[in-house]
Amino acid sequence: MKKLLILCLLAAMLTLSVQAFAHSPLMSCFDNGDGTVTCEGGFSDGSSAAGVSMHVKGADGNVLIEGKMNQDSEFTFNKPEGAYTVVFDAGEGHSVVIDGSNIVE
Amino acid sequence: MSSSLLVALAGQPNCGKSTVFNMLTGARQHVANYPGVTVEKKTGFFSLGDLRVELVDLPGTYSLTSYSLEERVARDFLLNDNPGVVIDVADASNLKRNLYLTIQLLEMEVPTVVALNMMDVATRRGQSLDVARLEELLGVPVVPTVAKKGEGKEAIRMAVENAHADKRVAPFVVDYGPLEPRIEDISILLGKEPTLGAQYPLRWLAVKLLEKDQEAEALLRRAHSEPQAVMDAVTKARAGFLESEGRDIERQVAYARHTAAGRIAREVVAVEEGRGRSLSDRADRFICHRVLGPVILILILLALYQVSIVFGGWLAVEVWPLWGGIENLVSDLLPEAGFIEDPLVRSLGEWVVKSMTAILNYLPIFILLFAFIAALEDSGYMPRMAFILDRLFRRFGLHGQSTLPMILGGVYVGGCAIPGVMATKAIPDERARLATILIVPMMNCLAKVPLYLILIDAYFPQAGGLAMFFIATVTLFMALPVAKALSMTVLRKKEHAPFIMEMPPYHVPTMGGVMRRSIERTWLFLKKIITVVAAVAVVVFVLINFPGLSETRAAHFAAEEKAAIDAFMAEVDKTEYKGVITRDDVLGIILFDEALKQAKVGVTDQAVSDTINARFDAANPVYSAVVRRQGDDGRTLNRELRKVISTRKQLRREIRTERFEGSFLGVLGRAIEPVTQYAGFNWRINIALLSAFAAKENSAATLGSIYGIDGSGLSVEESMKQAEAGFTPLHALALMLFMALYPPCIPTSIMVRHQANSTKWMLFSIGYQSLLGLFVAVLVFSGGSMLSLSGFQAMWAFYALCVAVTVIMALIPTREEARTTVVDGKEICKNKCS
Repeated sequence: MKKLLILCLLAAMLTLSVQAFAHSPLMSCFDNGDGTVTCEGGFSDGSSAAGVSMHVKGADGNVLIEGKMNQDSEFTFNKPEGAYTVVFDAGEGHSVVIDGSNIVE
Repeated sequence: MSSSLLVALAGQPNCGKSTVFNMLTGARQHVANYPGVTVEKKTGFFSLGDLRVELVDLPGTYSLTSYSLEERVARDFLLNDNPGVVIDVADASNLKRNLYLTIQLLEMEVPTVVALNMMDVATRRGQSLDVARLEELLGVPVVPTVAKKGEGKEAIRMAVENAHADKRVAPFVVDYGPLEPRIEDISILLGKEPTLGAQYPLRWLAVKLLEKDQEAEALLRRAHSEPQAVMDAVTKARAGFLESEGRDIERQVAYARHTAAGRIAREVVAVEEGRGRSLSDRADRFICHRVLGPVILILILLALYQVSIVFGGWLAVEVWPLWGGIENLVSDLLPEAGFIEDPLVRSLGEWVVKSMTAILNYLPIFILLFAFIAALEDSGYMPRMAFILDRLFRRFGLHGQSTLPMILGGVYVGGCAIPGVMATKAIPDERARLATILIVPMMNCLAKVPLYLILIDAYFPQAGGLAMFFIATVTLFMALPVAKALSMTVLRKKEHAPFIMEMPPYHVPTMGGVMRRSIERTWLFLKKIITVVAAVAVVVFVLINFPGLSETRAAHFAAEEKAAIDAFMAEVDKTEYKGVITRDDVLGIILFDEALKQAKVGVTDQAVSDTINARFDAANPVYSAVVRRQGDDGRTLNRELRKVISTRKQLRREIRTERFEGSFLGVLGRAIEPVTQYAGFNWRINIALLSAFAAKENSAATLGSIYGIDGSGLSVEESMKQAEAGFTPLHALALMLFMALYPPCIPTSIMVRHQANSTKWMLFSIGYQSLLGLFVAVLVFSGGSMLSLSGFQAMWAFYALCVAVTVIMALIPTREEARTTVVDGKEICKNKCS
């Protein structure tokens, strides 16, 4: 029974490191040239990213825009003034972040 | 005259066998698998004068019984391939333990040369060995070597040449004590078949039969005219011995061999005064310590998890563009996409490539994992780990070394069954290995998590943390009793090692050795798995795509396509592009748009992007004007283009869903509804679950597409609640538990086939898990409904049930448990751990 306790402890410790999906999240963003930006998401195994939370954050880290990937695994938003980052948030510690300065037309 | 000679290289793990192999053959090696099994077979060549010698590296084994795959492979090779000479590599610094194998080789009466390796280590430990006396006692040539430094190469070559020329095999007789008269009886019975004695040593065969060795029985049935008479006598002798001596023959035989090895070692090895305890023994005081041992174990496993899964996962993301590139490259080579339907060659080709890249994505994880395991094996830690946890796991028909596979599979949450199943390779006990293979897919791999999250968010919002804890830990309490039940039933007849392996001394693994082994294994794995994946992908493709859409539905979608293009063309005709862009150009423009996006993936520099834009402008100025919003008309048409693209995607999605629901797999989903309704699953959920088999991640996506995120702003959870009125937390609980027990994804099933080396076990694994999942879901749903429990109450009632079953299962004794004995050589571990 003591061994069982040890095993449980072991399991508990592992929860600390639950961070990685074995399939990888993917996202690429494009500036549409009309003041909007479109991001396309997905997973390396071909899974749809529909419904994945999306955040657009300003330079100060404030969330400017919030939404979800639509059924086509796309998310289009109005390009904010100034610096921004786009966050594809597919779960705790499992996200893709793209800096606005790297999104080009 | 030139002739050839087959030489086998035998030895225990960690004795420096590979180094001896490299020393003798140099770079001329060839790595393959032994026929039909996943054990590596290394072959090399060297010449002795006119003699061309083929050297085969046998798997490193402690013994030559048939308790593990490696032992069986080594033993079968010695029996069936008739090597002319066997070189037995023994670690001079651990003579006693290594002699255990040597003795068994000598009992088989194969011409043997002992390479007494690592003489330098022995000297460093203050041991001096009397080589001449050892030769005398064993009756075979003994050559001291330090293979690491190339010392002793010529001496071995000469000894092999002499042994080959001489062919005389000195008999070596182990005193089996009270068993002797029975061995004598069986030998006489065997001798009645006149040709048998010429083929196999009778005494050896008699001992093997008494040990109840299945291969020896098979051999008897092949070579003896009255096998049944012999078998009857063996059975009688076994029963008689058990009765008179109070222990079974396997133990007596092992004990006698250990005693013989110990006697020889005592006579040959002289230890310098004051050098009693080696470094390994001192390390074992901590590593096998009652409290420190498990702590060290946890730290090592944590490190392994961090490196292979977490760091490997990060690496996988970094490497992904390579596989994505391959996907794009293949897409470019295939026939062009259509508006709503693609040519079959394209969709099949993309599907197969996608299935392969999904596995290749794990490659960084595999390489790191293999390297880590190789390092653990080389260091000698593996058996210690087994020892520390063996007591607990053995109660459930598992093995101490089942820990690693279970951790990798996701004991709590967060693993992947593929590396988990793969890691079962190291388990030396066939029954425990199969039991582990069969339960690893029940762990919570990360791909199951999205579905858990959707369901928990929707149905247990107030108790999300508790619900997650429930599903994360209940799986272990389901897996352990299942493992025990399996080993008591279907696995009952599998080979089961009667005692724990020995503790080899510690070694510092070399970087080169670890990397080489990791890359060799990865390569072997890739070659096998990729071909299988391709084949399976084709089958699944057929199952989810055929028989296809009905004519009326196809006509409906064609009309939708026409309407979308008409709308676009109506706008075109209002612009200067009237007559320039025709109906036939619409698809071209869409594909042009996709190609441009593809070209710009990963581009972060505006200058580079401009170059790409310019290239596309030049390639087709008209298309580019629409896609890149040039001029007023370009902007207008771009807006219309977005609409057409969106309609196209929607139509393709609808077609995919309809085709899937009408496909063989979809029909199956409807067909099983009468059964699954007791688990609370309707046909829509059945279909989602069936498609999840292709890859677990699909479950969330399929549920998403079934319940739709239709732009109404509702989340999947909310739409699901609306669409499935009457779907309660109890339904959700049943669904979660089914998902936890549900058969592994296709890549895992292929891995199961690969490791269990049998399609039958793979099918069994899929079948029993489906049925068990269904049973549990029905129990929870129907049982919960009958007792009118809420989802939350049912959850904890079920939890209590599982824990109770686990405890009861742990208390059921099995015959083998009583047999577990520690024979030798690990006094410290034995004292500290048990």
